[in-house]
Amino acid sequence: MNDFETIIGLEVHAQLSTESKIFCSCSTEFNSPPNTNICPVCCGYPGVLPVFNQKVLELAVRVSIALGCRINRTIYFERKNYFYPDLPKNYQISQYKMPLGQGGHLALPEGREIRINRVHMEEDAGKLIHKEGYSLVDFNRTGMPLLEIVSEPDIKSPQEAFEYLNQLKLILKYIGASDCDMEKGSLRCDANISLRPAGQTEFGTKVELKNMNTFRGVRAALEYEVKRQTAALNRGEAIIQETRLWDSQKMASAIMRTKEEAHDYRYFPEPDLVDFFISDECIDKEKSFVGEMPLEKQKRFRSDYGLTEKDIDVYLLNPRLALFFEEVVRYYSNPREVSNWVLGPLLEQVNALKSNFETVKISAANFSKVVKYFHEGKLNNLTAKKALALSIETNEDIDEIILSQNLAQVSSQEELAVFVKESIEQNPKAVTEYYQGKKESLQFLMGQVMKKTRGKANPKIAKELLEEVLKNNRP
Amino acid sequence: MADTKNVEYVARLAKIEITDDEKESLGGQLTKIIKYIDKLKTLNTDGIEPMRGLHPETNAFREDKAILSSCRKAIIENSPSSQDGYFKVPNII
Amino acid sequence: MNIDKEARQIAENIYSKKTSKEEVFRFFHSRAKKVDSYLKSFVEMYDNFTPVNGDSSLGGLPIAIKDNICIEGKRITCASKILSTHVSAYDSEVVRRLKKAGLIIFGTTNMDEFAFGSSTENSCYGPTRNPWDTSRVAGGSSGGSAAAVAARLVPFALGSDTGGSIRQPCAFCGVVGFKPTYGRVSRYGLVAFGSSLDQIGPITTSIADSAHLLNIICGFDRRDSTSVKKDVPDFTKSLSSEGKKFTIGIPQEYFGAGLNEEIRAAIEKVISLYKKNNIKIAEVSLPHTEYAVAAYYIIASSEASSNLQRFDGIKYGLREPSRNLEELYCRTRKIGFGDEVKRRIFLGTYSLSSGYYEAYYIKALKARRLIRNDFNEVFKSVDAILTPTTPTPAFKIGEKKDDPLSMYLSDIYTISVNLAGIPAVSLPCGFTKSNLPISFQLIGKEFDEETLLSLGSTYQSCTDFHKKVPPLR
Repeated sequence: MNDFETIIGLEVHAQLSTESKIFCSCSTEFNSPPNTNICPVCCGYPGVLPVFNQKVLELAVRVSIALGCRINRTIYFERKNYFYPDLPKNYQISQYKMPLGQGGHLALPEGREIRINRVHMEEDAGKLIHKEGYSLVDFNRTGMPLLEIVSEPDIKSPQEAFEYLNQLKLILKYIGASDCDMEKGSLRCDANISLRPAGQTEFGTKVELKNMNTFRGVRAALEYEVKRQTAALNRGEAIIQETRLWDSQKMASAIMRTKEEAHDYRYFPEPDLVDFFISDECIDKEKSFVGEMPLEKQKRFRSDYGLTEKDIDVYLLNPRLALFFEEVVRYYSNPREVSNWVLGPLLEQVNALKSNFETVKISAANFSKVVKYFHEGKLNNLTAKKALALSIETNEDIDEIILSQNLAQVSSQEELAVFVKESIEQNPKAVTEYYQGKKESLQFLMGQVMKKTRGKANPKIAKELLEEVLKNNRP
Repeated sequence: MADTKNVEYVARLAKIEITDDEKESLGGQLTKIIKYIDKLKTLNTDGIEPMRGLHPETNAFREDKAILSSCRKAIIENSPSSQDGYFKVPNII
Repeated sequence: MNIDKEARQIAENIYSKKTSKEEVFRFFHSRAKKVDSYLKSFVEMYDNFTPVNGDSSLGGLPIAIKDNICIEGKRITCASKILSTHVSAYDSEVVRRLKKAGLIIFGTTNMDEFAFGSSTENSCYGPTRNPWDTSRVAGGSSGGSAAAVAARLVPFALGSDTGGSIRQPCAFCGVVGFKPTYGRVSRYGLVAFGSSLDQIGPITTSIADSAHLLNIICGFDRRDSTSVKKDVPDFTKSLSSEGKKFTIGIPQEYFGAGLNEEIRAAIEKVISLYKKNNIKIAEVSLPHTEYAVAAYYIIASSEASSNLQRFDGIKYGLREPSRNLEELYCRTRKIGFGDEVKRRIFLGTYSLSSGYYEAYYIKALKARRLIRNDFNEVFKSVDAILTPTTPTPAFKIGEKKDDPLSMYLSDIYTISVNLAGIPAVSLPCGFTKSNLPISFQLIGKEFDEETLLSLGSTYQSCTDFHKKVPPLR
């Protein structure tokens, strides 16, 4: 048995989040009835011409920036020629010699960087449905804007490929470039994999894997391929350059085509489109959407705020929430408590309102008071939530709410002593039971104190006082 | 060019069926044309950038706005074969 | 009605109520019905008079459209079997503009299949005959439009020009053919041949009519990314060279061996007429001219091979019954395309295929730049260039059928203009002894159609070749 090194490169196609297609005005809506989002342009009618959607370029520039690519300032499209029924013109408008982005990188969670070879824009093909003896074609997907992101062969294991995909998805979603929904087909992945004896510098023969429908599927297909190739190499067999299709039911891949049938795509510059020049303004504008990358943010949230991984994960997927959290911390520097309140009561109340975070009116400064007063004991859990509820849609000042609603917590021993005394006197049964060892009775008596103070009693002090009085009165 | 093998290869790329006679005649005509075109080989183009197109404008963009086409029905009706709103094609082999 | 009237004169008569739109339509329609049975310039003629509301100097006039320019709800076939049943789902931009200007779409005209050819013999409907000698070709690929205008079956027409397809048939038929600067007229709705070369243009009896028609069809269209945002001048204001000082360049490369002697003599007369009109004549050189035909056939065929891939029997047009997809493609395209179309697809596919791309396609793009540079250099010292439009007058039907290369060489004087993207016009300037039209070509600077109109109108104000009407049966 020899040791082999695995080398993997991934080609990801992500659908960019636009309203209309890349070269015509048809809608990009998902799940429309067949052939309803079509027009003469995307159906390749005689005489039609493509016109490039500006938003596609902007989003593609954004992704290129996020992946640290060098952006080619003058780009043009080319035609990739091949016949297939899902391709109405029998050529695909794509980029070949002059892609938008080149030479980027993507950092994996445990610190390794995978180099990105290129990022380019192209139009999607239609959908084929295979039936017995014939196929049906739906052109709704034809002309959807795609971004092809090609990694260098830097990935060393199926697990690393899985992490790369998760990380890429996180970035694309985070900057609003793609919703990366594999079920809707808005993210697709092909993989190239080869093995070589450990220590060898030249690459082994690569095999292309297609038809994986989930990230887990990509990992499983790669794991299968590592086993298959290792076994073959150990038997002394040569690996054949081929394309294999993954079958997620059988959890196995099968040959689709070998290299002998490879295409001659006859790429040449698309004469129906002009050159596109990417200005400094465009790059600056898109940079402002990119900001900090998820991994950097993750590190910072760990070291600067000491938050739990669970909390950090929520912030990575919700940049606006993260921004609000950081603003609140600026007013009240107790990150853990702030995060408890942002991800706890604040989100609970947003959900209860059947609303989303974007509609929340309360300012970070105002919200910080809720957390601060709670932590200091001025508000208890109940009154703090009440104050928040009153301010969440209005941003009414928390101090004013406390005054007008009389929410300030009762913490003074003398004041509380009155309510404690009353509660004990009025509930002799509970007191007797307490002395008989029933612990729940203490909770009941605490509830009475709370009721009398209309929830404002400082629970810690009230409880201590109650226990003390009961102890002193023990018969 | 224009030996039979070349003509067959191009016919396969271009998806046009040709008979053996056509292989001969097309091959012959193309050989003649290519012989003429080969005069380009005598042209010195050192340092000349290929002219991709005329491109009187750059950045000819469209705004990202979805518009429903009025031709959708006509497009399906134009198809030589359709079924349930789909274009129908024979077995893909 | 009188057939010796130019289009805008007929329009004036409609405007001043001397005649009506319907009377004009009926006149041309009955004349065309009679004459076209043997001329075969039309693919389809629309028999019903349907007036269009719209206003322009040409309002109410009928116009013929080459069969590769889309008209909503009408059959657009490119004279190809593969599209012979195809009905367009939309209007091309030029047709939209014509309708808006109140013109009446009269019918579609014959052409070489997909505009591949110089004789209109490569049409699935058979050749169009030259109205001056019906045993001869009308030229091509816009042969139907040129013959119909020459025979006065319609006041004017639109053609398309990829390597001379407007100018060459106009020269053979003795009418005016104008190819505007690339980007002047929207290509939206023109079935593409060579996308980086194609341009729609007017075919008229006089240069004045060209100017009026250009006013309508030129202008930016956001649906064509290669259409230019430049302002369009009122071209009719250029119909005189009074007060202007022009220099015309004569390129030696266009007067070598192979030029018919009668044409050479006629061009020399044109030159002396211009001299008499105080226009300066200068010898110039376009040294890369000899490479133009080779570069053109590589570029045009490469683009065409890709453009014509959409004709596959799936979405529209012809579909041959087959057992599987591969057979469907190969049979449909075998039956649907004529020989010349196949030749060009083969040549283009070959030029782009791996192993030949650099040697042919890229090399041709470099030659294209050199050819354009030649023009840029010459236009530093002259305002326009004067050449013959064709090396010979109209040839016999069938004469060049089996010799595609000699057919290609009949476009030798018109091709460079498309490679450079500049405007040019062909104007009739005489007749051979056997009474075949002879024409000359004026080539202008990028977006300077105006100089060509000025020089053209100077010539036509001194001559009456453009007023000659072929004797018809």
